[in-house]
Amino acid sequence: MTDRMHEPTVRTAVVLAAICFGTSAHAIDYQVHGYAAQGFVYSQHNNFFGDSTDGSFDYYEAGISATVEVTPKLLLAAQAAVRDAGISDDGSGRLDYALADYRLLSEATTQAGLRAGKVKNALGFYNETRDVVFTRPSILLPSVYSDNQNQRSLIFTAPGAQAYGSTFFGQHELSFSGTVNAERDVRESDERLLIRLSVPFDLRIGDSWNVQVMDSIDGGKWQFAYSRFVGQFRMTTDINLIGRFDVDLDVFSARYNAERFTLTAEYVIVGNENLLQLRGTPILRQSVEADGGYLQAEYRLRPEWTVMTRMDSFYRNRHDRSGREFAATNPGADRRSQVSHDFTIGVQWRPDEHWGVWAEHHWINGTASLQGLENPPPVRDQRWSMLMLMAGYKF
Amino acid sequence: MKRILAKAFAALLLMLSVVASAQESIPAVDVIVSPSLISTKFDRSLLRAVFTMRLRQWPDGSPIRVFVLPDHDPLSDQFYRERLGMYSYVLRRAWDRMVFTGTGLAPTVVQSEREMIERVRSTPGAIGYVGKRELSESDGQLLRSMSLLLAEGDND
Repeated sequence: MTDRMHEPTVRTAVVLAAICFGTSAHAIDYQVHGYAAQGFVYSQHNNFFGDSTDGSFDYYEAGISATVEVTPKLLLAAQAAVRDAGISDDGSGRLDYALADYRLLSEATTQAGLRAGKVKNALGFYNETRDVVFTRPSILLPSVYSDNQNQRSLIFTAPGAQAYGSTFFGQHELSFSGTVNAERDVRESDERLLIRLSVPFDLRIGDSWNVQVMDSIDGGKWQFAYSRFVGQFRMTTDINLIGRFDVDLDVFSARYNAERFTLTAEYVIVGNENLLQLRGTPILRQSVEADGGYLQAEYRLRPEWTVMTRMDSFYRNRHDRSGREFAATNPGADRRSQVSHDFTIGVQWRPDEHWGVWAEHHWINGTASLQGLENPPPVRDQRWSMLMLMAGYKF
Repeated sequence: MKRILAKAFAALLLMLSVVASAQESIPAVDVIVSPSLISTKFDRSLLRAVFTMRLRQWPDGSPIRVFVLPDHDPLSDQFYRERLGMYSYVLRRAWDRMVFTGTGLAPTVVQSEREMIERVRSTPGAIGYVGKRELSESDGQLLRSMSLLLAEGDND
């Protein structure tokens, strides 16, 4: 496995910083931030983020970052992080992002710039900061973000270039971000979650791109966003079996922020085009569109206490929402593995700017969000629930 | 003598009342900036761009240094609503998003208005806010007479 900490982008960033430290006349502004949170999951019937039917602590996240403003036009930033989430994330260290941000335009009403390095994809309201519980509305992200699913590796940070900008137009603050990512490898720990194959295989992600446009109205009272991500998994084996799995996501997001409460709704359509070829001949062609969405309400009782509730649904095939077609074409398969309905109630306590404690309960109907390797067949219970707790610190 | 006092005070601290906003009557929170920025016109969109940390430099290219009181301080809440037309949690959410994606710096949190005044005074390119009642009786009087003098001074 490549040692991510010595990627060329990090070395370049450090060298640039050293040069600029030596020559700049201004005192350079820099900040170091970090976060750490430990979670606990206790579930009925099915396992999630570890062996949770017996109570699992196999869920934690931590990261440390440094941001340096070399000049107001040039910002360097990097974050190293770890995350463990049962079988879906293995706790190994990784470079979360490492980038140079060059500001091309810096006026009161309009700003624009470019970023290069390992950059984050902007998808929906929460993808960019998904691994920091302090920026999530609840411990578990809505199904739009596939917290336990394999899509993470696809839309995760990757080496690339990004253009961004925002402008004020009357009551509207319009912002835009466009990213292209280079081809990259998929971690071995993620590979086995995505594909079950009896022969050795290698999985890579081909060039991908992502755009997001957001409109924030009247100081953020209303926020609307559209995000799109297009990428491709490429599988190669030694036996002349190759696979191409095209994925494209469209996310529609809306949020209303009032003094005490916030309402959020997001909807995603995931297009999958799968092709398997053996010795040049297509042996499998599949085209499936999944979708999912949620409606969420948060209420700030007091500055330190927030309660939330969410209704979330996910369908592996939006043209087969009951899963019956799937069960018909796959004898013995359970149709409830094609859907997941999650009703959540949660509470958050933030006694000060550093500490946070979260607790939530999920009532779930359907097993689409389960990891197969954590829940060997037969999966009997389509109705299940889980309690999640998390305590975290940030600075 | 009065003129010297006024100039000395201006060198230490300058209070700016934001003029452009038509919505509020008499604001209870004032923006404070480093002396070099006294001629800058602060309207709502500029304040928003500065306090959301999107803008990193002043028109002359010098870096912006933003100071804020803690999120739960009622003065913060008041300032964000009156001057920016934003809720403090929306602002905090925007700052966290920047900090944890490497796309910006967070504002520096100070613990008291005294510390705020001290930091803004001593940091080039700084901006912050204080409540009007923060001034002692004598400071307040001095300021009122100073602003009159400055107005006179403009006519020279």
